[in-house]
Amino acid sequence: MRRFRTVALLALSAMTLPLMAQSEAGMMMELGAEKKLSKKVSVGLDAELRTRNNLKTIDRWSIGLGAEYKPIKNVKLAAGYLLLNDNFRESISYKTDGSYNNWRPSYWGIRHRLYASVTGSYKLTKNLQVSLRERWQYTYRPEKTVERWDFDNAWWEDKVRDSKGKNVLRSRLEVEYDKKHALLTPYASVELFNSWAIEKIRYTAGANINLSKQHTLNVYYRFQDMRNVDIDDFEPDMHYIGVGYKFKF
Amino acid sequence: MKKILYLMAMACMMACQNDDTDFSAYTSGAISTIRVISITYNGNSVTVTGDNKGYVSATGADVTVNAADNDSLLLVLSGTTNDGSLLVFRDRKYGIRLNGVSITNNDGPAINNQCGKALYLELADGTVNTLVDGAAYDETKSYQQKGALFSEGEIVFNGAGALSVTGNCKNAIASDDYIVINATPSITANSSTGHGFKVNDGIWINGGTLDINVTADAARGIKCDSVVVITGGDITIKTTGDCVYEEAEADYSSAACIKCDYPFTMTGGTLKMTSSGDGGKGLNCADVITIKGGTFSAITTGGNDDSKPKAVKGDKGIILSGGSFYAKVDKSWACDNGTDSEIASERVTVVGTPSEASYEKKEVKVVF
Repeated sequence: MRRFRTVALLALSAMTLPLMAQSEAGMMMELGAEKKLSKKVSVGLDAELRTRNNLKTIDRWSIGLGAEYKPIKNVKLAAGYLLLNDNFRESISYKTDGSYNNWRPSYWGIRHRLYASVTGSYKLTKNLQVSLRERWQYTYRPEKTVERWDFDNAWWEDKVRDSKGKNVLRSRLEVEYDKKHALLTPYASVELFNSWAIEKIRYTAGANINLSKQHTLNVYYRFQDMRNVDIDDFEPDMHYIGVGYKFKF
Repeated sequence: MKKILYLMAMACMMACQNDDTDFSAYTSGAISTIRVISITYNGNSVTVTGDNKGYVSATGADVTVNAADNDSLLLVLSGTTNDGSLLVFRDRKYGIRLNGVSITNNDGPAINNQCGKALYLELADGTVNTLVDGAAYDETKSYQQKGALFSEGEIVFNGAGALSVTGNCKNAIASDDYIVINATPSITANSSTGHGFKVNDGIWINGGTLDINVTADAARGIKCDSVVVITGGDITIKTTGDCVYEEAEADYSSAACIKCDYPFTMTGGTLKMTSSGDGGKGLNCADVITIKGGTFSAITTGGNDDSKPKAVKGDKGIILSGGSFYAKVDKSWACDNGTDSEIASERVTVVGTPSEASYEKKEVKVVF
């Protein structure tokens, strides 16, 4: 009961975070299942739901399939596929005199993502471990025709959003306090998203709650610092409360 | 575990709002940012309202609009004139709503749009509109005049009204850009001197009813220097002209219901073409013809004295993969895909398994 209260309080506190300028609060909820095929190989199925707009709007849901391979003790290779269904934010364009030009409302659209990563870890002390994960991801957005309001002509018109592919290199440095048989495994990480320029930085602090050998809960706070955002785009910094659950077969 | 799932379900229920800006006042029409100028033709004069920028000038019923400002503009036309016109100079896209107007211009186009950007031409629901040009234009003008309805920029047809355009000097409808037909307009294009539609950069027909009749020798129902794409609509094209010997080409130029220089693609709608002049063709495409859906019919009844009256000619192939295809001629071959094969079935490429197929020299039918 106490754990539940803690999670609930963290979620509620997220609603007060958007008081900071140009930032919003959201939640990340994750469900995962993992099956070890051998000592070195495992496969997993993950689902995620995100919210934005101070928890009031669903931002994305996704499902993914991945596999991990540990060739040697401190190295982990991973690869997988994600199907993303995003609620793309609205887009408003303005004319040079400041008046409205076009408005494209928010809409739902599918994206496909492939990723591959390599993680190297090193134990600083008996319980303290540092790891570096380099993850390449390619995300493809298929072409989609959406409606756009033309203020000049006062009518809706079709707008074709062209298909688009994007490569991103994600670099995550994480420190974890992993004491054997302990209930909590606290961790903190910083992750850079690089696509020719740093697009965002994620700072995360949280803990894995090891309920049993099979059940793991993950609770975290994450601040997502948006960088190099186009002046016409509204992509605020995000304060996330994350809750995850993983079942290990 | 149940509590976690409960928390997640609660979060999902909370996240049911949209975070878009509320523009409902604009989209509902409560706030309008558009400048609406109404021009009503009254015989030899016009009445203009809403022109507080002084865009409009008129000599009798010949109206000139010089709208140079960077604003939004809609011209609403109504009334009748037997000696009038509309000439528009502008740099930005704009709209014209034909709201029950009849314009006949004896010495030029009924509507001449000199704007190189998009012209949104709306046929107001339930209205009947008529544009007619004269038999001879005043060619001393410094701007181009290529038809009874002429536009330098693209024309996007919208609405559910009716429009009849008659070209007595050149073409009925002409654009130096491209043409799109959306919604459900009913358009009739007649020309005794030129093409029904003359368009440079492509035509997309997505809906509506299109009835084209051209009678001049070597005239085309649709003459397009680029692609023709049909996704919907009910289209009927008829030509009666014979072929003409072109000195410059040292060859005969024949009439055709549709003549295009780039691919022709049909995915929906109904297209019915008949050509009766000597050498007159149905569809004459210098590229590949692809029919994936819709009902396609091309029938020629002309002779082959000077040119071959093929029903469907696609120089780079005729590919059928859906819909219904019918081609018939009285003379020559029904289909010509550039292969010169003596076997009729080799003159089309059929993808998939049609429910009905017959291949004769003068009649080809493929139904999926």
